[in-house]
This record gives sequence, structure tokens and C-alpha cells, in this order.
Amino acid sequence: MPANSAIKQVSEVSWEIPVSYKQGMHVPARIYATRKLLDNMDSGVIEQATNVACLPGIVRYSYAMADAHWGYGFPIGGVAAFDTENGVISPGGVGFDVNCGMRLIRTNLRFPEVKPKVKELVDLIFSLVPAGVGVKGSENFAQSQMGDITSLGVRWCAENDLAWEDDPQHVEEGGFIKGADISKVSRQAISRGVSQFGTLGSGNHYLEIQAVDPARYLDRELAKEFGIVHDDQVMVMIHCGSRGFGHQVCSDYLRTFESGMRRFGIEVRDRDLACLPFSSKEGQDYYSAMVCAANFAFVNRQIIVNKVRDAFSAVFHKDAESLDMHLIYDVCHNVAKVENHSYDGAKAKVLVHRKGATRSFGPGHPDVPAAYRDIGQPVIIGGSMETGSYLLVGTQKAMEDTFGSTAHGSGRTMSRTAAKKEVRGAELQRKMLDRGIYVKAATMDGLAEEAGMAYKDISEVVETMDRAGISKKVAALRPVGNIKG
Amino acid sequence: MTYRFLPDVALADIAFEAESDSVDGLFETCALAITDIMVDPKTLRATTKRKLSLQSENLDRLLYDFMTELIVLKDVDSLLFGDFDIKVTADGTSLEAVAKGEPIDRERHSLRNDVKAVTMHLFGVRRQGRSWKTTVVLDI
Repeated sequence: MPANSAIKQVSEVSWEIPVSYKQGMHVPARIYATRKLLDNMDSGVIEQATNVACLPGIVRYSYAMADAHWGYGFPIGGVAAFDTENGVISPGGVGFDVNCGMRLIRTNLRFPEVKPKVKELVDLIFSLVPAGVGVKGSENFAQSQMGDITSLGVRWCAENDLAWEDDPQHVEEGGFIKGADISKVSRQAISRGVSQFGTLGSGNHYLEIQAVDPARYLDRELAKEFGIVHDDQVMVMIHCGSRGFGHQVCSDYLRTFESGMRRFGIEVRDRDLACLPFSSKEGQDYYSAMVCAANFAFVNRQIIVNKVRDAFSAVFHKDAESLDMHLIYDVCHNVAKVENHSYDGAKAKVLVHRKGATRSFGPGHPDVPAAYRDIGQPVIIGGSMETGSYLLVGTQKAMEDTFGSTAHGSGRTMSRTAAKKEVRGAELQRKMLDRGIYVKAATMDGLAEEAGMAYKDISEVVETMDRAGISKKVAALRPVGNIKG
Repeated sequence: MTYRFLPDVALADIAFEAESDSVDGLFETCALAITDIMVDPKTLRATTKRKLSLQSENLDRLLYDFMTELIVLKDVDSLLFGDFDIKVTADGTSLEAVAKGEPIDRERHSLRNDVKAVTMHLFGVRRQGRSWKTTVVLDI
């Protein structure tokens, strides 16, 4: 990031850009970063976070988390809350991949017993979970079922033998967000999505077999609350979203919103910041369609989990229940939700946009599942396929400081085009195997683009959020097998 | 008629700049760039033909809708295209196109990135001298 005298240090790991930085800012921008992360943050983050600060009805701050990088409209790693009566909703503030998110499943297996089976597991899962360009899933749902699926999410799965009884309660919002209305979703979106359930996608989406990594970090007492009881316990992490269904919902409403802004006299600094009053008909229609897409994503990840359970069961000749393959949690990191928060000394309903940011609700919050209510919700931070990931918990300080939000991943520092110039996919695959990570990728180009060097240091990102107090480290997880979309 | 990728824009996504001496050529260039992102065009044959007719409010929207349509055809009908014949009307609000390509074949096609969507970030058709230009950021 270029040196900028407007950026004021607030604490060891937080910074502020005042409203005087740019004409039209309603609130300051707040950035969470160490000095090193801030120095290396691309200038797009500053411009985009301050553009978001200009949107009507934004309250308190426009936030950029430690993993922030240049996105479109909002920065990736951005959080913004809006007054539900006088504020706006923005499809670009959610992103095209509505409810892109992370799922973490535990097993009771320990790494030494899984190590000789990693290749077999990865190859089998790769054959069961389609990944890459234009893939179709194995579930044949009818278009007429899409209304029920997208309104009930994982609860629909549980009612149709596609989820375990306790799966829905271990998904953010209990497995479905209320307010879905399929009549607000275009025919094109439904056509794109109906055949894509259970598919991983492409880009930075992945499915990873991981082992707990106590050498990097493990809080054994906290980890126990999530069923992590061994220092080398094996986990599975899934990163994907709402596929073509969500992508089309965003595309459709971006057009609607851009036209509608003129009527409301709203001007924005980037076309992807198109927004309309949340209370407007278009704003409510988008919210209902976006919720359908979010619930689609929950179901997509559920079907993938079913395949993972099948694969482990086949390889270890035990049923998945015996392998204790329960969900630890499923978090959204591209979404807008109506939530109750307290700020400026009062309680209020706000519409919180998290674009590349994770909910981080603290202990005692009624929306945290009963099993975790004393400690806070699980926060799953996915890293690059080379460097590993983290499990954290939400905190009361996040409720006070960031509308219950924290980072979502390690954040890119290098574009896809640049990464491909630095390394070839096949070479990277060999090097990772030498380091004990077996990777199977839909394409070698896609693999090269996701090399660890293209990302920030995830430990520094996680450490920043931990030191800021808006999420607390529980366990580091290291990759041992990876399926790259 | 050229496109070039912009490595320093929108890090997690893929951006390109396209240029042509005609509007028809600009649309064709954008379509070829999107295909190039999803598949090695050299591995793509022209065994299937699709006719596209689109109408929109203005030239910007027409190009956005045209690119989105190609992404929809990839998801819904598993089709990728490497050859385009496009005619945009003089007022820039409608087009007729013939796209030639084939269904995705994972054995034979050298596949690359799955394009999720066309973003509006930095997007817009502009005239510079005798050239037509646009910048496109695709969500990957």
C-alpha cells in the first residue's frame, strides 16, 4: 500500500481513515492489519473501503479485515452494516458467489492411520465430487423442487435423508436463512443451478483433508469443545458456494439495481456498488432471491459432505457415524443478513454485508448453536492449499467492534495471471507431494493460480484478528490431501 | 482486434482489456477472451451452432448480457464456443449472433477456469479515436 498520511493508527492492529479522506464518506473506514499487512495491502482496498463508506445508510464504519484485497465494488474482506430503514442493500456487497462459505467436518481418525490412505481418499472424493468448468452434479432434482430446497436449505436435506439429524444445527442460521422467495429468482438462475448441486466449482474452491497442527497452534481445552481431542486428528474442510444459481441472481439484480438507482437519486463510485434502499421493492426482491441462493449453497455443501462421508466409509470400511464424521460448523462468508446489534448505546436491527468476511458471534449469543453457546461460534478461516487453515471462535469483542465479524481467509497478494507466470501447475503438484500434500486438480492452470505464494501469510492474518480480539484461535490445520476445483 | 489480460486488477479474479475497430469486433473479442479463460481454444472444435438474439437498453448492457449469455450456455448446456459471427444493430441495442463450438469434453478439452460472472467493476464500452474498447473483470 502506498504511504498515506490519512491513515491513522488506532491500536497495534487497527487503523482508521477519516471521513475527510474522500468527499461523500458518511463513516470512517477501519482496517485490521499489522503494520506489515497494511504496508503490503493493495491500494484497491483503501479506495474500495472508502467507496463503501459513501453508501447511503452505512453505520459506524466501513471495515476491511486483515485478509482484505482488491475485489469489485466492495473489497474482498469487507464488512458494512446498514440501517434497515434508511440504508441500502447491494448485490455487489454480497458478491456473485452468494454464501460462498466453509464447512469443517471432524473424524475420529488420527493422521498415522490416514496417511497411507490419503491418495485413495483424494482420488475417490475427486470422482464423487465434480469440480472444474461447467460440471454437473450427481443429484437429479427437478426444477419444481427448487422452491422447497432453496427455502428450507439443510433442513430440507434432513427431511429427505440427505443430512444427519444434527447437521442443520451445526450450520450458520440452523441450515437456512429465513425470507426466501423463489418467485424472485430468474428462470436462468434456476436453470444454471438445478444440475449443479454437489459440485465444487473452480477458482479458489477446494476440498481438503487436514490434520490438526499443534506445532503451529492448538488450544487443547477449547478444541475439545469441538470434538478435537487428538493432536493429529484428521479433519475435512470444504470451500465452495452457490454455483451458477447464486452467480446469476447477482448478475440479474445488478442490472435491476443499476437502473433503479436513478429513481432514488443514488450515485455510486463503482458500478458494482449499485445499491437500492433495503426497504424498496427491488431491495426486498433481491434479499429474497439472495436468501434462496444462500440456502442453495448450504445444500450444495451438504451434498458434498454426504459424498465425503461415503468416501471415508468406503476406504476405512466403517460407517461414517462410527468415524464420528459430524459437522463442526458451516459458515457463510459472502452474504447480507438482518441482525440485531448494539452500537452507539442503542440496540438496532442492521443489514450486515459480509463480502469475504465471516460472522464471529461470541459466547451467549442466541444464534450460536446450543453446543457452542458458552464459547462462541466456530469461525473457519481457509488458507491456501499449501499453507493450511485455522479454526477460531467468535468473541464478545467482535459483537462490540465489528458487528460480529472477522476475516475469512488468507487473502491474495498476487493475481491469477501473475501466479501462473511464477509457477507451473505440474511442478507445484510435485513439490507439494514432496512436502506430504497429495493434490488432485481439475486443471493444472487452476492449480498454479492457487499456489501459496499468491496469498498472504495466513498465520499473520489470524494472529491479527486474534490480537484485535474479534476472533480467538483454537487450532491450526495443515493440508495433507487436496482437491482443487 | 485484440485482448490482453490485466494482471494487476482485482487479484482474485481475471480482468482483460479488449479493443477492436468495430462494435461487432469488440463483442467477438470479448467472447474469445472469455473462451480463452475457460479452455485452450486450440482444443475446441466447431461441431455445434447456436443462434443468439439479444436486446438491451444500450451498448454497455448489450455487451454485459452477451457475455453473461455465454456463461449461462456453459452452465446450462455445457457448451463452449470458439467461433463467432456477430452483428450489432447501429443503435447498439440488439444483436444477432451465431456461435460455433462444442459440448465440454473433459478428455479432449484442455479446460482452465470456470467463469462465474461478468462484474460491472471498471466495465463500460468506450470509443477512443477509431477504436472501440472495454475493460472486463470476470468473477472466477
